[in-house]
Amino acid sequence: MTIQLKLTQVLFACFLLFSSNSPADTDPINKAYSVQTIQTPPGLMSETGGLAFLPDGRLVACFIRGEILIYTPKTNQWKLFATGLHEPLGIQVVSNSEFLVMQRPELTRIKDTDGDGLADVYEKVTDDFGISGNYHEFNYGPVKDSKGNQFIALNTASQGGSVKPEIRGTLNNLGRDMTPGIYEMYSVVPFRGWVMKLVPGTRKLQPYASGFRSPNGLGFDLEGNLFVTDNQSDWVETSTLYHVREGKFYGHPASLVWNKDWKGGKPVLSPLDELDKMRTKAAVLFPQGIMANSPSQPLCDVTEGKFGPFAGQLFVGEMNRARIVRVMLEKVDGELQGACIPFIDGNGLRRGNNRLAFAPDGSLWVGQIAFGWGGDQGIQRIVFNGDLPNDIQTMKLTKNGFDLTFTQAIKKATALNPENYKFRHYYYKYQRKPKNQGADTSVQQDIQEVLVTGIKISADRKKVSLKMAALKPGYVYELKLGNITNTKAEPLTNKLICYTLNKLIP
Amino acid sequence: MMHNLKAAICIFSYFLCFQYVQAQNSVTTIKISAISGMQFNLVRFSVKPNEQIKILLNNMDDMSHNFLITKPGKRLDIVNAALKLEERGPQLNYIPSSPDVLWSVPVISANQSTSLSFTSPSVPGAYPYVCTIPGHGFIMYGVMYVSTDGILPNIVTDLNIPPSRRAEKLLSINSNSSMDHEKITLQAQHPYESVSPYLYRIFMEDAGPAAIAVSLPNDLSYCWDAGTCRFRYAWSGGFVDNTQIWKGHANVNAKIVGTIFYRDNTLYPILVGKPDQVPLIEFRGYSLLNGYPEFHYTVNGIDVFELIIPRDDGKGLVRKFRIPEAKDNVWFTCNTESASVEYEVSAGTWINGKLKLSADDAKSFSVNMLNYSLVYNNRKKK
Repeated sequence: MTIQLKLTQVLFACFLLFSSNSPADTDPINKAYSVQTIQTPPGLMSETGGLAFLPDGRLVACFIRGEILIYTPKTNQWKLFATGLHEPLGIQVVSNSEFLVMQRPELTRIKDTDGDGLADVYEKVTDDFGISGNYHEFNYGPVKDSKGNQFIALNTASQGGSVKPEIRGTLNNLGRDMTPGIYEMYSVVPFRGWVMKLVPGTRKLQPYASGFRSPNGLGFDLEGNLFVTDNQSDWVETSTLYHVREGKFYGHPASLVWNKDWKGGKPVLSPLDELDKMRTKAAVLFPQGIMANSPSQPLCDVTEGKFGPFAGQLFVGEMNRARIVRVMLEKVDGELQGACIPFIDGNGLRRGNNRLAFAPDGSLWVGQIAFGWGGDQGIQRIVFNGDLPNDIQTMKLTKNGFDLTFTQAIKKATALNPENYKFRHYYYKYQRKPKNQGADTSVQQDIQEVLVTGIKISADRKKVSLKMAALKPGYVYELKLGNITNTKAEPLTNKLICYTLNKLIP
Repeated sequence: MMHNLKAAICIFSYFLCFQYVQAQNSVTTIKISAISGMQFNLVRFSVKPNEQIKILLNNMDDMSHNFLITKPGKRLDIVNAALKLEERGPQLNYIPSSPDVLWSVPVISANQSTSLSFTSPSVPGAYPYVCTIPGHGFIMYGVMYVSTDGILPNIVTDLNIPPSRRAEKLLSINSNSSMDHEKITLQAQHPYESVSPYLYRIFMEDAGPAAIAVSLPNDLSYCWDAGTCRFRYAWSGGFVDNTQIWKGHANVNAKIVGTIFYRDNTLYPILVGKPDQVPLIEFRGYSLLNGYPEFHYTVNGIDVFELIIPRDDGKGLVRKFRIPEAKDNVWFTCNTESASVEYEVSAGTWINGKLKLSADDAKSFSVNMLNYSLVYNNRKKK
C-alpha cells in the first residue's frame, strides 16, 4: 500500500558548497610531507567522528551532530547524505551509496535506495549491547576482517557522569566501585569495556576481548592482526596499543563483570596480582606527555609506497597535540612489540586527530574532534611530496641492544658518536589509581639512563647496531637522538623514539 | 533595543564578576574552581593595580590541574612551552621556566585546594590565567583584568576567555531575556536549514537511551524509543535544544522546547496473537518517506511498521501501522485513559481498552488522535 501524505513535503535540498584547499603549510623541517586544510561547509560543526573513501574516490565523513557528508576532492564540493545520527564515531563504506555507521545506540546500515544522493533507509545492523546513558559510553569501529567479520569497541562509563533512569541492558552494579576519592571508569551495562565481534548475517554480538577503558580506535595491519588503542588514566597508566586476540583481557578490570566465567564480586577489588596475571600487555606503550596522551585510530599504511617509505607500519592519531604517531612492530618470542615515533609534529597539523583514512591517491586524511576535551575540529590532508624523509625506518630489538634502520644513508661520523644516543628506560605500574590522584596523572617508575656500549654501522650506512649496557623486559626504552645527519648534513626529522620491550629475544 | 541589551550584559557581567570577589583587610580574595570539561568556573575578574590579591583555588574536577598567571598575550606561548617539557613536565608541575610566567601554583589533585597570594601588576592589562597540563591549556583558561575602573569588556566578544564560555553567556542572556525564544538567532547548527519533518537520535528525558526525537510540521514533535520500540510522548511549540549535549563531556538530555501534550505509557503497543503474553520486540530501523521516519520493528518475529504524521488540522497526531505479514489477530494498545484525547481508528474493535484487529485489518490501519489541549490552545503562533 502506498502511503499518501497530504502535507507539503520539503526534502532536504541537496546542496553544493564550493570550497578550496588552503595553501600547503610547508614546514622547513619535514620537507617530505605537507599538511593541507580541507574547507568544510559553513554552519558545520566539523567535529569528525569518521572518515572513509568511496570506491569512486569521494570522501565520506560523519560528524558529531549527526550529519554524514560526502566530499568530492576534484571539485571541492560537499554534499549532504544523511542527518540525525547519534554521535556517530565510525563509518565504513559498503558501496558508493551505502555505509555502516557506528552511532551511540547501534551499528546502522545507511543507504540511498532511490538514487537521489540522500539516505532513505536506516537499518539496524546490531544494537546488542547496553547503554546506561552515561555520556562517556562512546562506541567505536566498525572494522572488518578478511572474512567479513565486523569488530566494534565499547567505551566504559565515566565517574564524572551518571546513568539514565531508563537504560538498555541489564544493570550490574558489580561493574563499579564507589570508593570515595578513587577516579575510575565503570561498566554497569553489558559489554562496556569490550571489543565485540559481529559475524556476517547475524545481529548478535560475540564478546571478543575485554579490559578496555576508552578504546577510541581499531585497525588491522597487513597480516590481519587487530589493534586497538586505549587512553591513559585509571588502570591504564600510560596510553596503549593492544594487539587484540579473542578471549584475552587487556587490563581495565570493570569489563570483567560481563565475562561469562566471572567468579563474582567487583573486578576492581580483585587482588592486583591476579588481574596482572590475567592481562595481556600492550604491544606498544605511548609514554604520557612524551609521545601521546590520547591516541585514537591506528591505520595501517596500505599505500605500497604512495605515502612514502613506511608501507605496512601503523599511523595513530593523537588528540592532545598536533601530532600523528607512527608505530613499527616486530614479533619477538611469539608476541608483537615495537616502537613509536612522532610522524607529523606541528607542520600545520591541528590537535584532536581522531580519524584517519587513506585516499586513493595515497594521501592521508585526518579528521579532528574535541567534544569537550582539548582537541580541535575539521579535516586535513597529509601529502607525501615524493622526497624521501630523513627518518628512522625501523627500530628492532637484538640480543644485546637495538638495530636502527634509517630511510637514508647517514653520515658515518655522526652515527658512530655515542653522544648522539641518549637512552633512558622506565616502566609503568599496573595499578588501581591511588586515592585523590588526578585522572591524567601518569608516573614513570625506575627512570634510569642506559649506556650504549657499542656502535656499528652497516656498509650501506643505513643501519646502526647499538649494544646496550643492559636490557630489561617490562620497560620502555626511550631514545633521544642527537645530531645524526644524512650525507647532505640534514638532520633527522624526528629524534624521539620509544621501544616497548615486553620480551627479550630468547 | 540592542543598546539596552548590551547595557544589560555589562551590568550582568559586572555582578557575576564581583560576586566572587570580597575584600578582607585590604586583601581581595578571589575564588576559582577547576570544574569538569577542563574549565575554570570563573573565566574573568577585575582587580586594581598594586592590589593585594589572594586566589583560593579549588579543584572540583576529576583531573589534576595547575594554575599560572602570565604576562599579557603570553598564554599560548606558555602552553606550548609546557608541552615541550615532555617527560620533565610532571616533576616541574608543567610550569615552564620563563619570565612570562608571573605567578604559578603547582599541580593539585582532584578535590584538593590551595591558594596564591600576590600583588597585582602596576600596569593595567589583560593577564591570562591557565592550566598548562598538556591538552588543558588550549581550552582551560581565563583572564584577570587589571584596571582602575573595573569595567570589563562585553563577555560575548571577549577574546580572552574560551569561545565556549562566550557562547554560553550569549545563551543565558537569551534565555533570561523576555524576548520570544523563536526570534533569537543562534549560530547555525548544521550546514543546512532543518525543515520539518526531520529527526535526531539523541538522549531525551523520560525515554530509554536509544531515543529518537522527530520534528513534524505544524509545530509538533514526538519522541519514539528505539530501545523498547514505542511512542513515548509528543509536544508542541518547538523541537529540541541540543546545545548542552553538543558541548560534550556531560550527562545531559536534549532540552524539549515547548509543552508536552501527550504521553503514552503503553509498554507493548502492538501484540500479535495472545494479548496477555509479553512479546519479544526488536528494533530493525526506519525508512524516510518524504522525510517522515517509518519505524520498523518486529513483534515475536513479525514485521511492524509505524509512521507518525500530524493531523491535517495540526491538533494531534496520526499513527499509521502496517503489519503486512499478519496471520493472527493483532491487538493495539495506547494511552486511552487520557480524557483529553479522542481516538479514531480506521479498523478494529475496542475491547477493554485494547483495539482488536483481524489479520486482514492489521495489514494497514491508523489511529487518529485529536488532542483537545491543542484544540483549546488559542495562543497565537509567531
